[in-house]
Amino acid sequence: MELEPTAAMPKITPAPHEKDGAPGFVMTNLSELVGWGRKYSLHPLLFGLACCAIEQITAGMSRFDIARFGAEVFRASPRQADLIIISGRVSNKMAPVIKRLHEQMLEPKWVIAMGDCASCGGPFNNYAIIQGVDKIIPVDVYVPGCPPRPEALFYALTRLQDKVQKFGLGVRQG
Amino acid sequence: MTNITTEKLKTRFPDAVLGVESFKGETTVTLKADSLLETARFLRDDPDLQYNLLLDVYGMDRHRLGLSPRFAAQYELFSIPKNRRIRLNVPIAGPQAGNGALPKIDSVTGVWPTANWLERETYDLMGIEFAGHPWLHRIMMPRNWVGHPLRKDYPLGGEPVNFSFDKDNPRFAHLGKQIMAGPSFHSELAEEMDEEGHLIINMGPQHPATHGVLRLAVELDGERVVKIQPELGYLHSGFEKIGENRRYEQFIPYCDRLDYLAPMSNNLGYVMTVERLLDVDVPQQAQYARILLVELQRIASHLVWLGTHAMDVSGTIHALLMYAFNWREKILDIFEMVCGARMTTSYFCVGGLRWPLPGAFQDAVRHFLTGFYPDGINEFEGMITNNPIWKSRLQEVGYLSAEQAIALGVTGPMLRGSGLAFDLRKAQPYSGYDRFDFDVPTSDRGDSYGRYLVRMEEMRQSVRIVEQVLNKLKPGGPHKTSDRKVVLPPREEISTSMEALIHHFKLVTEGFKPPKGQVYGLIENPKGILGFGVVSDGSAVPHRLRMRWPSFVNLQATDTMARGGLLSDIVTIIGSIDIVLGEVDR
Repeated sequence: MELEPTAAMPKITPAPHEKDGAPGFVMTNLSELVGWGRKYSLHPLLFGLACCAIEQITAGMSRFDIARFGAEVFRASPRQADLIIISGRVSNKMAPVIKRLHEQMLEPKWVIAMGDCASCGGPFNNYAIIQGVDKIIPVDVYVPGCPPRPEALFYALTRLQDKVQKFGLGVRQG
Repeated sequence: MTNITTEKLKTRFPDAVLGVESFKGETTVTLKADSLLETARFLRDDPDLQYNLLLDVYGMDRHRLGLSPRFAAQYELFSIPKNRRIRLNVPIAGPQAGNGALPKIDSVTGVWPTANWLERETYDLMGIEFAGHPWLHRIMMPRNWVGHPLRKDYPLGGEPVNFSFDKDNPRFAHLGKQIMAGPSFHSELAEEMDEEGHLIINMGPQHPATHGVLRLAVELDGERVVKIQPELGYLHSGFEKIGENRRYEQFIPYCDRLDYLAPMSNNLGYVMTVERLLDVDVPQQAQYARILLVELQRIASHLVWLGTHAMDVSGTIHALLMYAFNWREKILDIFEMVCGARMTTSYFCVGGLRWPLPGAFQDAVRHFLTGFYPDGINEFEGMITNNPIWKSRLQEVGYLSAEQAIALGVTGPMLRGSGLAFDLRKAQPYSGYDRFDFDVPTSDRGDSYGRYLVRMEEMRQSVRIVEQVLNKLKPGGPHKTSDRKVVLPPREEISTSMEALIHHFKLVTEGFKPPKGQVYGLIENPKGILGFGVVSDGSAVPHRLRMRWPSFVNLQATDTMARGGLLSDIVTIIGSIDIVLGEVDR
């Protein structure tokens, strides 16, 4: 609808190449568009296990600032999260809980195994610890380090974003 | 030297005392199991003894030591008024392993209530039954677990590590496809919990305000808390079992991963205990460097407590978490400069420091101090000390009297927040703390606000200590002992001296072998008294490694503090205990 110019609202003639509010267009397909939207709005679960959880908190603080990667909104409920960062050792007692948390998250969902313990058991090769969280839930990105620095977590996050972009509209299995 | 405790015990209970042993300044009294309770009461109540603080209860499997009977329970007692320590060793004659029945001993929960969880842990991991315990259930392992992991006939477990991975090998075909089913289970509730009349809610293990994977079963009458039953073990990692399968020096990196907010302090506690066992002298300058780093660690640990506590109590103080972590980052930068790691430092080794301090160390610490003190701390206090929301959430919440605190074995800032000026750095100075001037802050309030005030003042006192140490610290000089039986010789010595080469070879292949004996080292961690019990059988691997972690014992006070309060106060109380799940669950 075209508005009549009045004294209060003078007609503006935008210069060429300037933003005029008119809809422009980009060439894309739906799959890439959805992937692009998803990868910059990851909602990690507010969930920490051990030492790595402290580095995970540090990653969210002002010095490192996970917000630069669009993943700063940690959700306390798994129903609102689409990324779970397993930050620490997974014990036999905790395993069913992690499995349950992962099942409660909405599809599509992703998993980062942060640190050696979550990836492979780390130094705790004993009766109490499960040797890698990938025995319980599928892992997308593994981060080595004991604990990994926040920068390492960010690298994992960018790798995960690549994966999310490629994933597109697909329906995740398992 | 006569020991008044053993003299009194011998005259009062001549039949009960089976033996007295003294080793490295620690006295162990061996008692008959059936007279444990009356001896315990006597030790607690006698005006000359007053062993009011039970530090630790743990079991010993003496199978390989060749002692009979196989199991023994050990009690570490501390007398705060008399500043004395003693260890009770109670062999338990009982059914041998294999026929299902457990060795049985009387519970001391009636004498020292803090024994409650400690005995549950001993029951769970060592398989010793405590008669008369109010609720003897597994605490660390899942309730359907079979066996008692700390027994010597229980294997360490784990999986073989494959160092090469060949995709085409059918052996590895299962990797990535082994998704297990995940059954869930409810908390085991004590019989006294009223499931019909009251509401029972579950908090954790995934909860933003439990500081980790703590699980609480809360019994509510309306919004009032009737009872809280914490359920632990979600992060149980078998540290004690690992320690009994590693050489002494190999356990140092594991200490970092226990209380992961204070790795330097943990290292110091462990290293000092082993040094006492070995009779190693640590150079003066290394001692000073240790104190400095440990006090910086105390500040860093308290900063995390402050930030997370403030965020739990009122989400609007989120900025304070950012500020606190910013200051902590500056301390971590100093640690990184010293040892290359931010959190898991492992910088102290048996006999001194692993490397000398870097040249820029002192300037870096001074730079940190000029910003942090007094402006940094004042900024925090300016934001919250008189903040009405902060005060209304903390004041009169989670009250704990000094008597209750001692009975529950609570130590550290929590005990000082109840008005008792008990600090091991003053009471039994270690590592040269007696050469420095500092105060022990206390508060008579006994509530969460009192504990807040104590911790803020502790940060100031730590700064005071750091400043004094800086003036005494001189670059150069030895950073570790020259005892070649304990520390590796310098690299250039190996190429010239045959003896140094032999020492190097022996240390790397076998490790050092301390004499037979038992020591129990205590230090004042940021969260309370940390204890390491080491039993050596003369080999390079400890026969028994016991750890007393302050968070575990302090957490036991949750129920006492939260009863009668509001549901929302639980978050305040957990925050003010300052727990780290890594050391609660071990």
